[in-house]
Amino acid sequence: MKFAHLSDCHIGGWREPKLRDANTKSFILAIDTCLKEKVDFILISGDLFNTAVPGIESLRMAVEQLKKVKDSGIPVYYIAGSHDFSPSGKTMLDVLEHAGLAVNVARGEETFDNKIKLHFTVDKKTGAKITGMIGKKGGLETNYYYQLAKEHLEKEPGFKIFLFHSALAELKPKDLEEMDAMAVSLMPAGFDYYAGGHVHVVDRQNIGAYKNIVYPGPIFPNNFSEVEKLKHGSFVIVEDGNIQHVALPVHPTVCISVDGDGKTATEVEALVKQQLLKNNLDNAIVAIRVSGCLKQGRPADVRWNDLFHDAYAKKAYFVMKNTNAFTSKELQVIMVKEANVEEVEESLLKQHAGQFKLSPNDVELAKKLMHSLSAEKAEGERVADFDSRLHSELDKLLEG
Amino acid sequence: MTKGLIIGGEFGNILVRQKNEQALELGELMIADTSNGQMLLQVFDLLYGSQLTQQHLELISGLKLEEDEKLELMDAKLRTYVLARLKNLAFVSKQVARSAKTLPTFFTKVREIEAKDVSFLTTPLNPLFLGKLRSGSKVLEVPVSIDGRLALSHHVLIAGTTGRGKSVLMTNLLWDAVDKDFAAMLVLDPHDEYFEKLQKHPAAREQIVYYTPKSPPPGARTLKININQLTPRHFDGVVDWSDAQKQALHAYHQKYKDSWIEAVLREQEIRDFHEGTLAVIKRTLMLLLRLDVDDEKNISCSGIFDIGAGQTTIPDIVNALEQCKTVIIDTSSFHGNVEILIGSMIANMVLERHKTYSLQEMKTKPVISIVLEEAPRVLGKDVLERGPNVFSTIAREGRKFNVGLIAITQLPSLIPREVLANINTKIILGIELKPERQAIIESAAQDLSSDERMIASLDKGEAIVTSNFLSFAMPIKILHEEHKVVVKARQSFGGLKL
Repeated sequence: MKFAHLSDCHIGGWREPKLRDANTKSFILAIDTCLKEKVDFILISGDLFNTAVPGIESLRMAVEQLKKVKDSGIPVYYIAGSHDFSPSGKTMLDVLEHAGLAVNVARGEETFDNKIKLHFTVDKKTGAKITGMIGKKGGLETNYYYQLAKEHLEKEPGFKIFLFHSALAELKPKDLEEMDAMAVSLMPAGFDYYAGGHVHVVDRQNIGAYKNIVYPGPIFPNNFSEVEKLKHGSFVIVEDGNIQHVALPVHPTVCISVDGDGKTATEVEALVKQQLLKNNLDNAIVAIRVSGCLKQGRPADVRWNDLFHDAYAKKAYFVMKNTNAFTSKELQVIMVKEANVEEVEESLLKQHAGQFKLSPNDVELAKKLMHSLSAEKAEGERVADFDSRLHSELDKLLEG
Repeated sequence: MTKGLIIGGEFGNILVRQKNEQALELGELMIADTSNGQMLLQVFDLLYGSQLTQQHLELISGLKLEEDEKLELMDAKLRTYVLARLKNLAFVSKQVARSAKTLPTFFTKVREIEAKDVSFLTTPLNPLFLGKLRSGSKVLEVPVSIDGRLALSHHVLIAGTTGRGKSVLMTNLLWDAVDKDFAAMLVLDPHDEYFEKLQKHPAAREQIVYYTPKSPPPGARTLKININQLTPRHFDGVVDWSDAQKQALHAYHQKYKDSWIEAVLREQEIRDFHEGTLAVIKRTLMLLLRLDVDDEKNISCSGIFDIGAGQTTIPDIVNALEQCKTVIIDTSSFHGNVEILIGSMIANMVLERHKTYSLQEMKTKPVISIVLEEAPRVLGKDVLERGPNVFSTIAREGRKFNVGLIAITQLPSLIPREVLANINTKIILGIELKPERQAIIESAAQDLSSDERMIASLDKGEAIVTSNFLSFAMPIKILHEEHKVVVKARQSFGGLKL
């Protein structure tokens, strides 16, 4: 038995056309590799599309590829993921299934006691028994797992595959600590292969009775950090129990990281330029990350247009930058940690006290002035009376 | 109902003559009404009183035994009776309880306590339910709660002999805290007994996180801890390293950072250490963490410590605690040292994180309470003589950072006096051994010097709570409730092909 496991294709995901194209190329490469490798079937563990209703272009490409697979006699089994899921079930995935291009394996019945009884889809050629659970945004599918009737799934003999689109608490990578995750124990135990998706990492683990829990990684990196971390997309081919990760290097990736701490904008620019010159950028996706606090100048003083121009002159495919953690002393805001308005005011007053001297305790005076000035006209009070009252209070404060 | 009259004694030791057929009990709460309020008293000793001399009493008993069994004493109620010693618990005036500083007048009647007499026991700001007020063996319909935020951050001791209700009490405290927003509980459970009961809590799915190394029930997490999460400091109080070994551990950690344990196991290069020292470190780590390394330097894991999984387990636990959840870790299959190591990893992270919070931030965070069963294993005199550990640090300074301990033990005398003194709330269940009672009495928040007999006579489920956050040492009855699983509303399954 030989099958491919893809996940998180996010077709139509990138806003930049060039990266969207790279994503498409990666998906096509994966499909072509599956055809070349003559796999018996293909699994897609959620997020084939980036949205439940993808654009025409994305749909056209996906249909074209799935048709190619179908014509080669290779069935595709999928589940909906957190991006292409729809509570009503009305998604393009549904259209693909009706067109006979793929089979949704997250199917079954609701039992009298409000449990989900999943059914197996049996692959005709290999006899592999496949089922799975959809993914939802914010890990909300966890509630479905609590209602999952597992006994019949666990007792079923034969080669069994479970598709899931969730982060698992026991396997969460360190950099995704904040991600919602569920316990492995919510899945049915004793399957031969757990085809995971949702977490964009390449991983394979065994946890007790759960053997071969595999995350193949996305078909193409989905954001700047993933470009840096993963460099390229990947998927998995399993042949007679041998699990192999297949890389999808549609473009070389060059990651440049510069620490701008204590430097000038010109120095940072020079460092980036130096890295661009040093690397072979031919057809490469170039990811430039600059962090730190400039000692002089502003981040905007770095001439990014020139740097990008240099990179494209060296035939880079696409250049992207991340300056989220790049700042300068001039731009550093006053950090106020206090919880309520009064404390924020007090903190700001203390920081700015000393700029002028009006009284022995200017912070206190400022607070009283603010309090008086925020007073509203009392009900029935004439404007003139309110005006006079306010003046008198302010006079009293400033004289005192 | 009048149960006796005050006939003498001194402050803290008031003598009462019991009214015939109104049996007084050890621990019974009594009220003496005075002109400006009520004196709350408690029976701490019972003795016989008689108008007859000992010689006459012996003669009469002889006559009854040897001559005529039917012989009756004339006006027996007046000639023989029971005397009780009572101590002052509080003086209640205008719904406020204060320390008693006066004595009731001679022949003041003492009567049975009623629920309305303790209406001053209002629900505190952050109530943690302890049990119901008890007067002797009689249970009053008066719930006793303590301010959980204060009590838990200032540590709690639960002391009592096996079978007296420590686990039931702890289960009740955990049950009550599950959906409270002021406290989070971390339970290192060496008997794996709490989750079974707590999983029936209506908020269990959202509020309880259960880790176990054995086949976890649905929703529970398999306990896996990545070895990259360990630092040499976590082994304080866990392994008795020599100075040279400690230095080698730190050198490895400094050089190889998160991968230092892998480096030790793979015998990666480190200078200036004796081969033997490194071999001992490697062997100790392999045994403790149940790791193995083959000739190809591949590491295999057969316990909870892993090289792949469990990268976020410790931060996940700490995050869950900060979200007011109850985290239960089944440590029943571990050697004591492994349990302490895990506890130490979590406690260190909790403490470190809390130390970074400002006072203002601290007010918005729940107090994190760490439940330690058989507490002397980590807080015992012999353990602390070898050096401090994170739990003794928490006992000493945790309250500043909103981190507290709930130490459970049947042998409080094994815990050093200074640690006991730092534990502000003590829940005392029946203790037979005198030295154990003494250890508690000497460190109690209220004066329990006359309560030894009462503590010895506490039945299953009966307890005395002494705390700075209670107006007097409160006798309570721990409730043993059977919890049933709450049936949830039907759920719909949108998105699935059903």
